Amino acid sequence: MVTIRFRRRLLPLVLNDDVMTADSSAVAECEVTFAEVTKFYGAVIGLNDLTCRIGPGITGLLGSNGAGKSTLLKLASGQLRPTLGEVRIGSLRADSTAAKRLIGYCPDHAHLYEEMTGEDFVRTMCALHGFPWDEVCQRTTEVLKEVGMSDRARRKLAGCSHGMRQRFKLAQALVHDPQVFLLDEPMTGIDPGGRQEINDLLFRLADQGKTVLVSSHILSDIETLADRILVLGRGRPIASGSLPEIRRLLDDRPLLVEIIADDPRPLAADLVALSQVQGCDVQGNRLRVRTKQAAEFYVQVQNLVLQRGHTIRQMQSLDEGAEAVFEYLQQGKHAS
Amino acid sequence: MNSLRAFAALLRLSFRRLLWSVNTLMVLLPVTGCGLFILRRGFHKLTPPETAFDAFGSFLLFVFSSFLIPICALGFGTTALGAEREEQTLVFLLTRPIPRWQVLLAKILASIPLSCGLVMGSFACYCWLVGPVGWLALKIYWPAMIGMTLAYLALFHLFAVAFRHPTMLALVYALFMELFVANLPGSVKRLAINYYGRSLLYGLGADSGLKVPKGFEIVPMTQAYGMLAGITVGCFLVAFLFFQWKEYRDLT
Repeated sequence: MVTIRFRRRLLPLVLNDDVMTADSSAVAECEVTFAEVTKFYGAVIGLNDLTCRIGPGITGLLGSNGAGKSTLLKLASGQLRPTLGEVRIGSLRADSTAAKRLIGYCPDHAHLYEEMTGEDFVRTMCALHGFPWDEVCQRTTEVLKEVGMSDRARRKLAGCSHGMRQRFKLAQALVHDPQVFLLDEPMTGIDPGGRQEINDLLFRLADQGKTVLVSSHILSDIETLADRILVLGRGRPIASGSLPEIRRLLDDRPLLVEIIADDPRPLAADLVALSQVQGCDVQGNRLRVRTKQAAEFYVQVQNLVLQRGHTIRQMQSLDEGAEAVFEYLQQGKHAS
Repeated sequence: MNSLRAFAALLRLSFRRLLWSVNTLMVLLPVTGCGLFILRRGFHKLTPPETAFDAFGSFLLFVFSSFLIPICALGFGTTALGAEREEQTLVFLLTRPIPRWQVLLAKILASIPLSCGLVMGSFACYCWLVGPVGWLALKIYWPAMIGMTLAYLALFHLFAVAFRHPTMLALVYALFMELFVANLPGSVKRLAINYYGRSLLYGLGADSGLKVPKGFEIVPMTQAYGMLAGITVGCFLVAFLFFQWKEYRDLT
């Protein structure tokens, strides 16, 4: 059986739009609006003049450490107040009590109430929303089932693995059925099977028209999940758009690829003839190739292997790390 | 109704966390130690009753004002909010639809019965061990004990709101600074809660035979009560204002 998932994209991420002049009656309850937001930590700038509107669907927030992802999420969850500008959830100020009914926040750290069981923790967090006790119990049971923790709900949090803690944290963010989910690195410590389950859960939420904002410093985590991506670097938005748009930006990035081949010289001769290759060094059986348009280059290498019979033992990108990606995007931003 | 239920849930959570914390055990240890000392010292055997009251009163005065009350207030006052901060669980409270002032109020309300209960409970136990002189001391001193406990509690809540590691700071303050400042000559000692607490205890016990040590100037009882009440209300107010505006960047 083949399942085709249609992912709704109700309201896309809009960057640098004049959000303050937008018709306020059209502002959905589940929209997160940043209007010229700047956040200083003393003399250090955490977020620099961000204006964007994040609507329903899954938006990935990508950036290296210190890029401003957590600051953005803390501002959206009302933990921090902007130094300049305004953050709103729907029409409410993000730090207001009413706005907190609309958000579910999952922090990136693994610190929970260690003396409690998972069920007790989620139930307590639900009770803090003021639901009657019967409803608290019912919601807790449902949400634990949703995050796949029903059978381990009675386990003490102190004895839970990192992945289990992540799921309980997700459960506490979901339990009051909020409109906006702010998830700070939710995939950390979760195994591939668990990631798929959480991805499915987030897709379901997005399909219900809710806003899901997920941060990560790993591109592959986000690309399987998000409809739209906002890339931050040093507190500024450096790229935004759909995944293909971001991919296109990255494809033009110069890349250093190392290839280990049985017979590297004929392969090197064929590679330098390719228009995507800027240079090639041979050291023993290792080839270091500098390329632009990485996606195209990989396709051409496959063709060469098939057509000319080259034997390649290993091929890896030497600067595929998040830091290199963000550095590249940041340079592009400054150049433009 | 929803807000009230949420506040009640927070109050329950705060009380439960404080009651079953290691701090409760840590506070119970010195309390038990003092009880054993009272048994060993044999205040109940001293005669005449004035001498017994003076000896027991002086003991109470030293032990409670300089040690047990600060320790009890510290054990529950700084950890009510401080533990949430140090364990980084405060983020779960600050992202719930509960106003910040209610978060702090719940923490304060949860800590008051525990600290006052422990102070008054241990005080009553000691008085029971001593007998009639003890019961007289209980009758005379209970308002001063409650007043001092609340003043220390308010101060330590303020510490918890303002500082990253409030317990260490409060411990140093309570066991060294307070004692040091309260025993300084001149008017500097008027900065210490301990000084007003001791003045109150000496004032209350004077009619029953408690002697004020030479060189220790006490303030009138109304002034001592006023200062303790002022410190309590002032510290709580500052803590509320501070907590309302403070951004805790260290939570995640």
